[in-house]
Amino acid sequence: MLTYTIISGLLFGLFCSLMGIGLNLIFGVMRFVNLAHGDFLMLGAFGAYFAYTFWGLSPALALVVEIIVMIAIGALIYYAFVPRLLRSRDPEMLSLIFFFGISQIIQAIAVIAFSNNPRSIVWSALGSANYQVLGQGFQESWVVSALISAIVIALVYVYLYHTKIGYATRAVMGSQEEAASSGINVHRVSAIAMGIGLALASAAGTLSPFLLGSITPNMGSDITTTSFSIIIIGSLGNPLGTVLGGLIYGLSSMFMQSYVPSWANLVPYLLLFLILLFKPSGLLGKVVRHA
Amino acid sequence: MSPKSILVLEKIVKQFGQFRALDGVSLELSAGEILGLVGPNGSGKTTCINVIAGLYRPDEGNLYFQGSKITRHSLTHSAHMGINRTFQVPKPFKSLTVRENLVIADHYAKRPHPPLDELLEFVGLSSLADREAGSLNSSQQKLLDLARALATGPNLLLIDELAAGLNPSELDKVAEKVQYLAKSGIAILLVEHLLGFINSLTKRVIVMNAGREIFEGDLETAAKNPEVNAVYLGG
Repeated sequence: MLTYTIISGLLFGLFCSLMGIGLNLIFGVMRFVNLAHGDFLMLGAFGAYFAYTFWGLSPALALVVEIIVMIAIGALIYYAFVPRLLRSRDPEMLSLIFFFGISQIIQAIAVIAFSNNPRSIVWSALGSANYQVLGQGFQESWVVSALISAIVIALVYVYLYHTKIGYATRAVMGSQEEAASSGINVHRVSAIAMGIGLALASAAGTLSPFLLGSITPNMGSDITTTSFSIIIIGSLGNPLGTVLGGLIYGLSSMFMQSYVPSWANLVPYLLLFLILLFKPSGLLGKVVRHA
Repeated sequence: MSPKSILVLEKIVKQFGQFRALDGVSLELSAGEILGLVGPNGSGKTTCINVIAGLYRPDEGNLYFQGSKITRHSLTHSAHMGINRTFQVPKPFKSLTVRENLVIADHYAKRPHPPLDELLEFVGLSSLADREAGSLNSSQQKLLDLARALATGPNLLLIDELAAGLNPSELDKVAEKVQYLAKSGIAILLVEHLLGFINSLTKRVIVMNAGREIFEGDLETAAKNPEVNAVYLGG
């Protein structure tokens, strides 16, 4: 039981890391909390559902297509709205209202378009084998989802630490004014980060039917809360800290489900409470970021 | 406008709500010249730098750099054109190394500049090149900020309180560096509270108060000016 819980916690934790990393990237670059994060994840989930149901497209392939589409949508949303928000007197407060509005709009349209009925994708869509890890049996869909999450997170690492635009992104995270004074086009970098942030949310969304169960248009709010807990555990504004946050959340969640299942839903709130009480800057944080 | 002027400000006004931070400021600056900008807190010195650098857009007036009107430029455009600035409170990219901070500016600024190793040597940070910028003390961060600005190859350098917090021997070294930069042809606008430091660098100073210039000349003459005295001594 313990071995199973730890391994499933790590697999689930990798997915949770992917779930939160886009939210943290957007926060790190723009200091905005994307309250519609979970709704973009939900769109990714429905995208994978329809791609599989109607065209028989593998969720892994749908993930690649969704990433490309969402990068474009994210950049469009940025250029259409964010520069106006930034010119306002209180951009941070307005951004909360703006993304809350986006969240409500996406949910309302999704209910009209998809109805409130829960949907699911058969687990065999990501492989039907049963893997043995340390003597414990795991469905292939879980293992593949965790593997895909790890690959996408690794790509985020490569982007941030081994590309020119990644250096610029980290510079903008450090100081927008210093970055602009270094010749970096802060709007372009932020638009790309917004696109990547939404793309990562939708990528997690394509895997969510295999790890979170059935999908509905209203699933986004809970996911935003959970993602927020994950990034606070790691460190706000530090995308790779999200990996640590995700793994801790995944393990905690699996331990609770294994040993105290009726309390499992409290995990995000409990972790959030503990981290804010004992290390408000997050486990990898040096200082508290002011949003 | 003098043909030698690299920077010209014509009656620049900048308002924040009802507050006029700059109230018709005009000045000219030539290549290789050092102009000191002094005044009490809130007199508009840093706002003036922010407007020239492109952080704020002026509400009225015109701004010319190398003969071109640049009233609606941004910080990024300024860096590309050859205007750069240091910050009163530097915010280096703390998760990057000292060298990486300069590499960023080198990548994006698009202008010729001295090699990065030379710049690190110039500001005395060669031995710390591979350290995280966040681990530097505040005076080292100011020097890194200066090197970052120089890595964009500026013709006009706006220096905002570089000397604050430095000890006397560090002040002398920084003064030498600023003089060297001016001799190399860079026009320098220097905002500073340390009047002795500024006096050692230039005889041309503008004293500001409440967003307006109240005096232009050397500091010795400024000290005899009744309006300047009233501003500094409350007389």
